Amino acid sequence: MQWAIASAAFLASAVEFVEAFTIVLVVGVTINWRSSLVGALAAVATLALIVGTLGVAIVQWVPIDALRLFVGVILVLFGLKWMKKAILRYSGLKAIHDEEAIFEETMAEIRARGETVAPRIHPFGVALSYKAVLLEGLEVAFIVITFGSSGGSASGIASAAIGAAVAGILVILAGVLIKAPLTKVPENTLKFVVGVMLTSFGTFWAAEGFGYAWPFADAFIPILAAIYLLASYILVTWLKQRKRSWMAIASTQKAAITAQEEEEVRP
Amino acid sequence: MKALKAIYNFIVGDMIILIGVLIVVAALAVINFVSVFAPLRGITGVVLILAVLCVLTATLYREARGNR
Repeated sequence: MQWAIASAAFLASAVEFVEAFTIVLVVGVTINWRSSLVGALAAVATLALIVGTLGVAIVQWVPIDALRLFVGVILVLFGLKWMKKAILRYSGLKAIHDEEAIFEETMAEIRARGETVAPRIHPFGVALSYKAVLLEGLEVAFIVITFGSSGGSASGIASAAIGAAVAGILVILAGVLIKAPLTKVPENTLKFVVGVMLTSFGTFWAAEGFGYAWPFADAFIPILAAIYLLASYILVTWLKQRKRSWMAIASTQKAAITAQEEEEVRP
Repeated sequence: MKALKAIYNFIVGDMIILIGVLIVVAALAVINFVSVFAPLRGITGVVLILAVLCVLTATLYREARGNR
């Protein structure tokens, strides 16, 4: 066991596992756990196939930058779509979507009929979970192979793999602990946070796909999230102001029309 | 055509977001793969963040105008 390699692989892999698990967690909480786990398991199966087929040659054969760019762009598209909806709801331009109430109502009707339903597989959730786990899993494989190979002996890769496996188990355990508190967050807030996170991860990976090195490396993701949160707050405030001014103009016009009609009716 | 529309609606469902992001990616590809623009490669991150914010603002502005 080479402790230096195992520790380095543990730390580097932990960051990647946290990124993948964050998306699996938000898909599970916001869409449903069935879709999230199906996506994650499908990604693990794909990973096993890739790693099993290519072995250490994975570093030469998988175009990780192209994959980062592709996944990054898709996540930015998904993220912007969610952020737009959430911002419109917060600014009052779109009705607040209470999916939970709709779901509970439907479930009550189904229960009244004496039927049961399994949670539906949602392609959007499966795709999100799959892409995140596949990309981060490949990065973990790269970490294990590159860190392990630097040891110069056969036990190097085994030590790196042990470090990565321990990191994965710890991240999953931590995720299970925070799963329950997350379900208490209101649905629209959660969807807004998911939109911000998808856009942040997407921006990060898309730029990395072009070979760009972010300042502070992966620690820049929370900074990106903070930038998008601040921008969203400014946009919500701006839209609320516009809505107020439009309503004021509309009520003035309505009052003027009413006054004119009264004037015409008067003998 | 139906399949394309279904994919479009599934991924983004908003033309401003789709075209905006594709333009940004094309611009970044030019910056990163054409040697004349090599000095600009250091601002890839900033350009991407600003572009994402511009796209978001543009689509929200259109929605707000539609609501009006």
